[in-house]
Order: sequence, then C-alpha cells, then structure tokens
Amino acid sequence: MLRKRERSFFLLILPAVLIYMIFYLYPVISTFVHSFTDWSLLQKNIHFIGLDNYKALFHDDVVLTGIKNSILYAIIMTIVQNALAVPLAVALDRNLRTKNWLRMIFFAPAVLSPLVVGFLWSYIMSSLDYGPLNQILTHLGLGSVNWLGSAKLALYSVILTQVWQWTGWAMVIYLANLQGISKELFEAAHMDGANGWKTFWKITLPLLVPSITINTVLSMIGGLKVFDIIFSMTNGGPGHATESIVTVLLQRAFTDSQLGYASALGVLFSSFVMIVTVLQLRLMKRWEVS
Amino acid sequence: MKKTLILMASLMMVSSLVLSGCGSSDDKSGKDGSASGEKKTKIRIMGYNKEETRKSYLEYLKKKLPNVDIEFQFIDLKSYENILRTQLAAGEGPDIFETSGSGAVYANADYVEDLTNASFTSKYNDTGLIRYQGKVYTIPLQSWFEGIWYNKDIFTKQGLTPPKTWDEWMTIHDKLRQAGIKPQAMGAKSWEPMMKQSMGMLLNEFYAKPENKDFDTAFSDGTKKVSGNWNELVTKWTETIQKGNITKDMLGIDYDQAQDEFATGKAAMWESGPWAAEALKQKNPNLNMGMFPIPGLTEGTGWLIGGPGSALSINKQSKNKDAAMQVLEVTSTPEAQQALIKDNFGSSFLKGVDVQLPAEYQDSAAAFKEGHVYAPWINWPFGAIAEDYGKALQEVLTGGRTVEEALKVLDDKADQQRKTLTGK
Repeated sequence: MLRKRERSFFLLILPAVLIYMIFYLYPVISTFVHSFTDWSLLQKNIHFIGLDNYKALFHDDVVLTGIKNSILYAIIMTIVQNALAVPLAVALDRNLRTKNWLRMIFFAPAVLSPLVVGFLWSYIMSSLDYGPLNQILTHLGLGSVNWLGSAKLALYSVILTQVWQWTGWAMVIYLANLQGISKELFEAAHMDGANGWKTFWKITLPLLVPSITINTVLSMIGGLKVFDIIFSMTNGGPGHATESIVTVLLQRAFTDSQLGYASALGVLFSSFVMIVTVLQLRLMKRWEVS
Repeated sequence: MKKTLILMASLMMVSSLVLSGCGSSDDKSGKDGSASGEKKTKIRIMGYNKEETRKSYLEYLKKKLPNVDIEFQFIDLKSYENILRTQLAAGEGPDIFETSGSGAVYANADYVEDLTNASFTSKYNDTGLIRYQGKVYTIPLQSWFEGIWYNKDIFTKQGLTPPKTWDEWMTIHDKLRQAGIKPQAMGAKSWEPMMKQSMGMLLNEFYAKPENKDFDTAFSDGTKKVSGNWNELVTKWTETIQKGNITKDMLGIDYDQAQDEFATGKAAMWESGPWAAEALKQKNPNLNMGMFPIPGLTEGTGWLIGGPGSALSINKQSKNKDAAMQVLEVTSTPEAQQALIKDNFGSSFLKGVDVQLPAEYQDSAAAFKEGHVYAPWINWPFGAIAEDYGKALQEVLTGGRTVEEALKVLDDKADQQRKTLTGK
C-alpha cells in the first residue's frame, strides 16, 4: 500500500523534475561543459581548449571592468537601499494618518519594469533642455550635471535610479517584520526609561535582523546580476564605464558569438554569486537574534 | 485507479508540451502538393526588414515564379543574427537569408553558397558585391546610406550652404554656434555615430586612394592593421571634438532624443539615414531638410556611409538550391530592383537601374553618381568589432583613451576574433 502511495508521489513530482532537468539542470551542465571549448556560432566545429577561456577572462579589460562595476553596484545598492529602507519603515510603522498613502507612494516604483524606469530616468537626467533634474539644478544656480554621459558619474546615476525604485520594496519587508514585533517589548522599554533612539538600537534593529538578512542577500544577488537598467540607461557606456558582468556576458555571447568564452564567464560569475551569498548568509545568521 | 489515470493524463500533457518544443517544423522535402496537383517548391526567405518593405518585391517574385511558393519570415534585427546563426549551426535555416552587411561572417563559417560564377552576379556593380577571399557570397539589394541631415531653413537664414570640404564644415559649426544655434545633434550614447563620422574622414582621405583599395581584405586576414594607417586621419577627425561640435553631454543622449532635437529645429544637423525621414516629418511636418555627404579635406563630392546593407545569401545546406538560385536570378532584374526601391528607398547596385533621387537627397546626388557610398566594417569577417571601436571613441571623448589606444582596441579585437575564427 505504502509503495503504491510512494509511486503516486513520485509520479506527481515527475513533471516538475522533468521540467527542472530539461530547462535548468541540462543548461547548467551544458554551460559548464562548453566553458572548456571554443564554441562559436561562427564555426562549425567545437574544440576542447581546457582552461584557455578562464585564463583569457582575466586578461579581458572589459570583463574586469564589468566585475568591478557589478561588485561596486551591488555593495552601494545594498548599503544605501537598506540604510534608507529601515528608517523609512520605522517611520511608516507609526500611526500616521497618511501612512497608507505614503506606503503606496514609496512602494509604487517597485512595480515598474526596469526598462520603463530606465527610459523614464534617461529623460529626467537628460542633458538636453527638457531634462527636469538639470533644469532644477540650473534654477538653483548649481549648473547642469552630465548624469549619464560622464564616465565617472554614470554608474552612480544608475545606482540612484535603482535606490529610488527598490527602497520602497525593501521597506515593505521591514514593515512586515516590524508589525510582527510584540508591542509589549516597546512598552517595557518605555517603562524602563529608554528613549526612542535607544529603543531603536536595542530592540527594533536586533529584531529586524532576519529581514535585514533577506533584504541584503537579495540586494547583493540582484546587484551582482544587474543588467536591464544598465541596458536601458547607458548600454554599458560611455565607452565601457558602466559595463556589468551580465552586459559583458551577453556582448561576448551574442555580439561576438563567442559562446564558449561567455559560458566560462557565466560559470565564473555563478560561482562567485554563490560564494558571496553563502558567506553573507553565514555572517548574517551570526547576528540574528534567536 | 482514477487517480492513476488523472496522473498519467497530466504526465502525457506535460510531456507533449515539453517535447513539442523540440520538434522541427521544417518541411524537409520542400515540396508542397498544391490543390491543382502541381508541385510547388517551397522557399523560405528570412529577413530583418519588415514584410511591408518587401511587399512589391515579393508580389513580383510570385508573379515571375509561379512554381515557387515563397514564405517570407521577418525577424527583428535585435535577435536576427542569433536566430539565424543558431539555425545554421543546427544544419537547418532558411533557403535564402538577408545579411546585415556581414556576409563574410557566414562565408567564413561555410554556411553560404559561392555565387561568384552565378549568371546574375556579373549584373551588379562591383561596389555592391561583398567579396570574401576573392569570392562572392551575397547579392546586394538596395543600398543603405547615412549622411548629414541638415535643416535647410536654418542654413538659408544663416547664409550657409552644404560644405564641400572638412574645413568648410567646421566653419559652418562655428557660425551656427556664434548665431546661438546648436550645430549638431548626436545620440552618442550609442557607439555608432562617432564611429561612423570618423569613418567619413577615412572614406574621403584613406579608402578613396587606389593604394588602399584592398585594405579591408588585408585587415581581415591580418596582414595590415589600422594602427599606423588611420592614426593621422582619426586624429584630424578629433578636431570636431576639440572644437566642441561633439561634446561629453552627447554621451548621455540617445538616438531618439537627438532626433527630437533636430526635428524641432534645436539643432541644425544630425547624422542618420533615409529611415529617419518619416519620423522626422511626423515630429515636424514643416521641417525643410536635406542630406549632404561627409566632406573630406580636399574639395570633392564627399562620401556617404553605407553599402549593400541588405544582401541575400543562399544557405549552402538548402534542399532547394535550384529554386533559390531562380529567386536570386529574378531579383537581379531592373523590375525586381524597382519593386524593392518602391517600398524602401535606396540606390540599386544592379547595372542600368536608374533611381530617381527624392528632393531631400539632391545634395548627395554627386556622391551617389561617383559611387561614394561605403562602410568598411561590413567587409570584415568578424563579429561586431566596429562596436568596440565606437566605444573606444566614446572613451576618447571622455578623455579616457587616446586615438592610438582606440585604434589598438580595434586591432586587438580583430586579432582575437581572427584567432577564434581561423586559429591563426
């Protein structure tokens, strides 16, 4: 009887397992295998070339720029986004009359597609006379800024738009966490004479650590994978100033048709993201309050 | 029992959904039994120009080739090369396909039929035939070209006429700036416009010289490099950056934004092609515009950037090569060329085809007459290495690279791709 039930369970999960194997496991293994070849859509034959692709990656300036930018982007995004989202969540957890409206306003950008956000901000940051951001700065007597055309500034301009888009989303996770914290803890602290600042540091923040873990891990992974917003706002430029790992990967794979080389970059990149995530989770777990 | 049946049915559905994606819908025989009992040969043409831009041409083919059933498949240019290359690599693919000016890439991979000795090839002017290692693998449809769109009203008001030399062009920029008018709009967020304008200088002063006629072949096989050959001219071209005609803020402007600036009269010139004409007129129906070619250092007709952008190749693995050859034979007639031009303006490379230039291109008439339409990079058998050069020029504008370094980027990229392609 049990065997029959087991068989039923097995049959039930079989479609999911099949789909997982065909659309996930197979491409992953295939990418790994092809990363040791010179596979190119421009050639009919594929040759095994050992670690050549991996060695070449570290001599490719654009790849190195992409790695540097992705790491910088992920770290800045994670820090700024969470540094803003925590106080925002705490503020909007209070009994404000407009709290629902404010929550909606801060969360709203998160429902937009990154491509839409990219095009929208390209116009807002435009250096042409209709670019509202520069218009405001000029009216204030600060002069216009070359937001997207400056090699030094463009990456930070992109990060700014992403902080605008995703801070509200992180805020919602913190809000959910805050609403789960027992009010008695705050009352007890108040009775003991703790002020607002002390309550925040000693009670609110330690109890928010589980959601800080979720938010920072997701921000890091999302940051390292950044592609769509860069694609729509700067396309990796000017020059290669805002190139990320994924924009370079796609360029190498589909513009240059070097699929073997791009596979190696993909394998390296996935391994890196995995290591960062595991390390980050371990670190955060230590801080979590049991 | 009922549960097992439901489970089995679900499984079959999922499996069929999954496996249906793996099947090939190609008609391997290529023969179609029509209602009349006649056997029609099916030919699949894949292109990145929309069907409406090929309407008259396809109708003409249908009329001339009653025994051939032509299926036209449009794929957007963004994914065109990927889809085509993947299909060709899988040993499938269309019988005839449009190339995006890189026919040599397919020739190198041995995907395309050698058309050097085909009866129709000699009917074309040599400038339209892409040769790879001395052989012809594509036949050109109408040309694509780009020049400098200019606002005729602004030019007239400022007493300016289209330039005949580089210095005149620079002076025009100065005069417009002095009059408080932005001389040129440029969507330099894309790597293309600077790359193309620097090529304009090279076409006039490098490629026009007989001794450099075969430079692209030599560059492709690695016997010549751009470094050492282009330095002086590209450096001369950067004069337009030093004069402030191309500025850093343009790196944050995209194609559409630049187009808006020109259409609304905020800038007097903008580099683009005929495909922008319709959009410009829609944005400003009163825009009085013309196009002039990029001028050179010495007085001449100037050069337009362009070439046989739309060309057709025959898939070497096609099961219906005879019918595909017939299609190209018919394409190589003045009537088919006129049908192509009717729906998408461009000049024809077929000998004896007279194309009436619309009024806005009259300033480029002499350049067309001289055959001064060329784009070097479409003759290189590599991936998109012109993109790397264009991005390097963006860095020249930001001050992050020198001209020498930008040219080295192009050489290094060519070396790397050549190694991938030939192992050399």
